[in-house]
Amino acid sequence: MIQAENKDIALRAEGVWFAYRDHDWILKNISLSLPEGKVTIVMGPSGTGKTTLLKVLAGILSPQRGNVVVLNQLIETHTQRSLCSAIGYIPQQLGLVRNLTAMENVLMGALGRCGHGKVLLGLFPRQEVEQAQAALDLMGIGHKGSEKVFRLSGGERQRVAIARTLLQRPRVVLADEFVSDLDMALALEILGRIRQAAAQEQITFVMSMHRVGLVREFGEHVLTLTHGQVMPGFPTQGPQEQSSAEVS
Amino acid sequence: MRTNLFVTALVALLLGVVLGELGFFDGARLMRGVRNLGILTSEMFPPDANVLPVAGKALWETVQMSFAGTMLGFLISFPLSVLGTRRLFSPVVSSLARLAAAGIRTVPVLLWAIIFVILVGLGPLAGTFGIAAYTVGYLAKIYADLFEGTDPEVMEAVQSTGASKLHLVRFVYLPEGANAILTQLLFMLEYNIRASSILGFVGAGGLGFVMQVYLQTLEYRRLATVLLLILMVVLAMDGLSAWLRKHFLMAPS
Repeated sequence: MIQAENKDIALRAEGVWFAYRDHDWILKNISLSLPEGKVTIVMGPSGTGKTTLLKVLAGILSPQRGNVVVLNQLIETHTQRSLCSAIGYIPQQLGLVRNLTAMENVLMGALGRCGHGKVLLGLFPRQEVEQAQAALDLMGIGHKGSEKVFRLSGGERQRVAIARTLLQRPRVVLADEFVSDLDMALALEILGRIRQAAAQEQITFVMSMHRVGLVREFGEHVLTLTHGQVMPGFPTQGPQEQSSAEVS
Repeated sequence: MRTNLFVTALVALLLGVVLGELGFFDGARLMRGVRNLGILTSEMFPPDANVLPVAGKALWETVQMSFAGTMLGFLISFPLSVLGTRRLFSPVVSSLARLAAAGIRTVPVLLWAIIFVILVGLGPLAGTFGIAAYTVGYLAKIYADLFEGTDPEVMEAVQSTGASKLHLVRFVYLPEGANAILTQLLFMLEYNIRASSILGFVGAGGLGFVMQVYLQTLEYRRLATVLLLILMVVLAMDGLSAWLRKHFLMAPS
């Protein structure tokens, strides 16, 4: 088991095995502990199961064997809804609804604590709207709230996705390669905002990433996933020997 | 490559055999048909404008039936399609919803009209219900398939916020599917206008009754007026569809 240096563990996986098809294991006996309030980066070549690992940690996929414990709660014993405020998930393509505005997308982060009455008519409590605006402001796109998502640039969409997750008030955020399509400067800026949010709100960020330059800059805690297993630190050949753009 | 050629040849052969059985290669019969077409066309012109008040009133009834029937069908089909979405409901629930839609769809709209004439009597109300029933069967399937095709990443991201099924329908399925939902609804409305113009044949109101009378009394010039009116409505529907798509659909699908 890979133990984090920090005593406060936000997320722990114990002997996790996962396969989409019978015994074709993508994750093999994965055990890891992730420190609270830090940015952990999971590295590894494409196709090694980084997305699968994040989905299992987020409770979207159930492992065939083993447990995932988030903030001392066993994931299997809770429904997704009861965990909602604790775990945020940002998929690789961000999972935004293109036909809705940036503000509406951010407000979706509050759905877990909103009922069905006025919300189904698109009317969210004022407090939530104010917080959504604050989240957009924090991401530097407060003026883009009324823009439809399909009109936003790639970088703006990333910020909307993070703002949505922040409104969810999570303790753990799992983000899958979500800055991989951005240029270096923009990726650095967005990761900077994430680090700021992680420190301010004591949020634990777990991100999969294959751009070594970014990982060196931001990874407080780096794990590498290869052949279905996690190892601490960078891939064995070392980041200096790889292209700064891609590992795979 | 060889397999493609073989399949193409096989389909061509099958088509030839079927067309032959249907009388497609009976030259004398086809020539007779062309001559009759000439006679029929000459008897239809010029269209008789004197029937415009009668035909116009019947046309308005047809449009009313189509509009009310389509919207009623849409309102019923929407929840049925949500129930038929396998991502949201168990296989038992979604299969039952899809089976219901398939059952409704199996019955042609003309037969639905006859059933409702029996149930609620002659007139446009029967036609409206008939159109609504057929619309439910068609749209429920189309929309359920559409919802199932929604990007799984969007579903996962929104689901992980703790959104309920109702939230997902309102904030993911509806906006993500808006283009297709509206396009299919407009198509259905246009289809129903054409379909409902013959529902009068079975006493379910609208233009069909007028058409039937003119056909039986061989008043083809009057029939031509009715057909031109239907053409105008279908063209107007096309224009309306284009306008709605332009103004209400934004994200490229």
